[in-house]
Amino acid sequence: MTFIVRQIAVTSDGREIIRSNPFDVDQIGIGRSAANAIHLADLAVSPDHAVIRNRDDGHIVVESTSGQGFTLDGRQSQSVTIDPAEGAELGFGGHIITVSADDEGTIFTVKRIDAVSDSAETRSEATVYTLKGLLPSKRVSAWSFVIIALAAFLVWPIYTWATWQGIEERSDAFHADTLWSSGDLSSAHHSLENDCQACHVDAFVTVKDSTCLTCHEDDAHDHAKPNRLLTARGEPEGLEQIGAAFASAFNKPPGRCVECHTEHEGEGVMQPTAQQFCADCHDGMDGRLTDTKLENASDFGITHPQFRPAVLVQPGGKNPQRERISLDDNPTEYNGLKFPHDVHLSKTGGVAQMGRRLSAKYDFGPSLVCKDCHTPDPNGVRFEPVDMKEDCSMCHSLAFEEIGGTIRTLRHGEPSQVRADLRAFYRSTGPNRPINLGGIERRRPGADNETRVASDYARAVRFRPSRANLAISEVFSRGGACYDCHGITPPTAPGRVDYGIKPVTQTDRYMHKGWFSHEAHNDEDCSSCHNAPASKMATDLLLPGIKTCRECHGGEFQTASDVPSTCAMCHDYHPDDGAPWLIKEQQKDKQKLPDKKIVSR
Amino acid sequence: MASNAISARSTRKKVTMHDGFLKHAGYRWLKISSLIMLICIVSYLFVDVSPRHNGGSWYGYTLGTIGALLILWLTMLGVRKRAMTSGSWSLKAWTSAHIYLGLSLIVIGTLHTGFQLGWNIHTAAYIFMMIVIISGICGIYFYATIPKAMSDNRDEMTESQMLENLRSLDRQLHESAQPLSAEHANLVLQSLEQDPFGGGFLRRISGKYPDCATREAQADLRRERAYQPKMGGDDPLDKVDALLQKKEATLARVRRHLRLKALLQVWLFIHVPMTFALIASLSAHIISVFFYW
Repeated sequence: MTFIVRQIAVTSDGREIIRSNPFDVDQIGIGRSAANAIHLADLAVSPDHAVIRNRDDGHIVVESTSGQGFTLDGRQSQSVTIDPAEGAELGFGGHIITVSADDEGTIFTVKRIDAVSDSAETRSEATVYTLKGLLPSKRVSAWSFVIIALAAFLVWPIYTWATWQGIEERSDAFHADTLWSSGDLSSAHHSLENDCQACHVDAFVTVKDSTCLTCHEDDAHDHAKPNRLLTARGEPEGLEQIGAAFASAFNKPPGRCVECHTEHEGEGVMQPTAQQFCADCHDGMDGRLTDTKLENASDFGITHPQFRPAVLVQPGGKNPQRERISLDDNPTEYNGLKFPHDVHLSKTGGVAQMGRRLSAKYDFGPSLVCKDCHTPDPNGVRFEPVDMKEDCSMCHSLAFEEIGGTIRTLRHGEPSQVRADLRAFYRSTGPNRPINLGGIERRRPGADNETRVASDYARAVRFRPSRANLAISEVFSRGGACYDCHGITPPTAPGRVDYGIKPVTQTDRYMHKGWFSHEAHNDEDCSSCHNAPASKMATDLLLPGIKTCRECHGGEFQTASDVPSTCAMCHDYHPDDGAPWLIKEQQKDKQKLPDKKIVSR
Repeated sequence: MASNAISARSTRKKVTMHDGFLKHAGYRWLKISSLIMLICIVSYLFVDVSPRHNGGSWYGYTLGTIGALLILWLTMLGVRKRAMTSGSWSLKAWTSAHIYLGLSLIVIGTLHTGFQLGWNIHTAAYIFMMIVIISGICGIYFYATIPKAMSDNRDEMTESQMLENLRSLDRQLHESAQPLSAEHANLVLQSLEQDPFGGGFLRRISGKYPDCATREAQADLRRERAYQPKMGGDDPLDKVDALLQKKEATLARVRRHLRLKALLQVWLFIHVPMTFALIASLSAHIISVFFYW
């Protein structure tokens, strides 16, 4: 039987050229070596790869001689028997050999199916040099990012908001809308960090004052009426209009709590109100709020009105009438007392001498000083009212009788008791017994004289109680103990002695709108602010004016001054009777004294 | 000489073309962008915003609005680039403006933050913006430096020619390896069958192919033949060796070309998707600010 080998070659233009060679032998070889009948120029094929033998029954046997296999109909083999009449396809490397039979013999059609090399394979030159296929495509990753970002940053937080709406307190678990937080809350609001909806209640509606007042009902004292506040602030000017335009376009009414109390500014204490916020209204306020009684203020060092203490109009009563008078008008104040500071503080004279005499008992110095009479209150902010018994009676004694070593004093503050005590004194004591009565030692000669002395004494004894009225009058009149310090109301009718004491009011705080702590000024002498040593009258109002304060305190921007001071150092926007917020915060930090380096806001 | 002259001219032409978008109209957009940045910085320092600078002040809104509109306009380059025109609003002018205005966004965006950054979506949007800008800066750098390196490497060969060169060498190798033993033929076959464009992104961008079959085949053949006496006449292995060497040189050129070309493209794979991430998070940023107003 003849083997016919047909080699099919493909030209570059795709035409097939068939060369046919008959081999009239029993066995032919397959391999890369040119000596083989079936010569495969294929590096994947061994030089002598396999042999094909005829069998007597007309079948052929294909057997590997190199140890390398081949495929029969795609299946890997080392040795196979084929019926050429049925046909088969053998695979050697990149070639296939189709086996068939016709009358002339067994035909092997050889054809290359794989390219010689990988580079020879057809490929798109437009993309082969690009990164296509090596990285995820830009389009796919762009849209993936869009979806991820919108889902994580927008849909999820809105879903959280929607599902927790109307619930009083959210759980401590993570809530996606916290991703929207533009910064940590201040320490006061730290507990709300996870509960956005505690303040941000409705979507696209700004934080409302009513929400703040849920917790701050008691401490958010009104600064002024809202409509007056807005009038005082005036319309936004210049570039501020941009912010106002945004605010009005997006439903953000002006004058809300959060406008000053900005949150999400980072962990720590909420910053005190910036001076700018005060100056926004108070600088040139009379031009906008034309009926205001307040004077303009922008900065303590630049524009600040003279102090206007609340001066007593009339002492006495629980809430005596007061009037705010500028210190520039040199106000005086009658508080019901007489007290010349100059006499008491003089380094010479009777008061100083008396002080020296009593120094061992009362710890006085060479002359009297302020602290000998004035006692700071427990906070050191202001002073206790001067107390007669504690602060005056060391010198100004009300003693009138000594019984067995005990000194009896008139009762301070109770004129009727004073009168009663004096009357009792004169009723219970006799006049001094004359030494010439009832004896002969110093008697003048003559019985008449003895009788005269006896009758004089008897008369003195009889009239002794009536002496009380005279003594009472003396106590309440010029030269008397009460009159020395107090205003006296005269008796209701001639002959009566129902003298009274005019009411006294000691003022512990003159400036209720501003804060002043004496303790913070401990380094100073009293007299550097209060010119007491030169004061002759108790009616002198010994308050220092703004000029004195400005010797140390400059405004916020006068950093060269000893103490640059913002509005917030003395003033509170939501004032109560206590220290301003800034001072309270400083005291919290154990900074008792305002340092030179004051936080500017 | 003639080819040298052509080469020089073409190189110069390349340089001017690639510098073109930077130097366009006498650095017009660099000047405009610098002015914008200067105005922003000076106004930031002089504008008194209480209590402190942040995105929510009138100044913050202004910068934010400018920044957002600028981002959208910069993104439009992706649409604009598909239509090449000339004139003062030519694509080159547009690209020049894109680059310099994009750089000014660093200042506008950063000042808009008021330097208040944190773990939130606002900062995420800022970070996406900075990634886009930084990848853009890489792109500028690549576009300014790579074309010359690429031109030097190509040595006036086109991409098709490089591929043809490889194919030709492969055919010759195939031819010359016919007389080789099965083992030797197998080495050559590995070289032929390896995809010269394969190897993944890291190989492409680094230009390092540690498993190069061509180099391995040559090394193996040489190691084997190092101590064998040189046989006279035609040793087919000599020819294979020479061809492998040629192929390696060509592969090196192709790979350098691939690496440079990858660098020219790779920054866009960050720049473009990040731009979309930026626009999405920017939308979330704006909506969230007004949502929790």
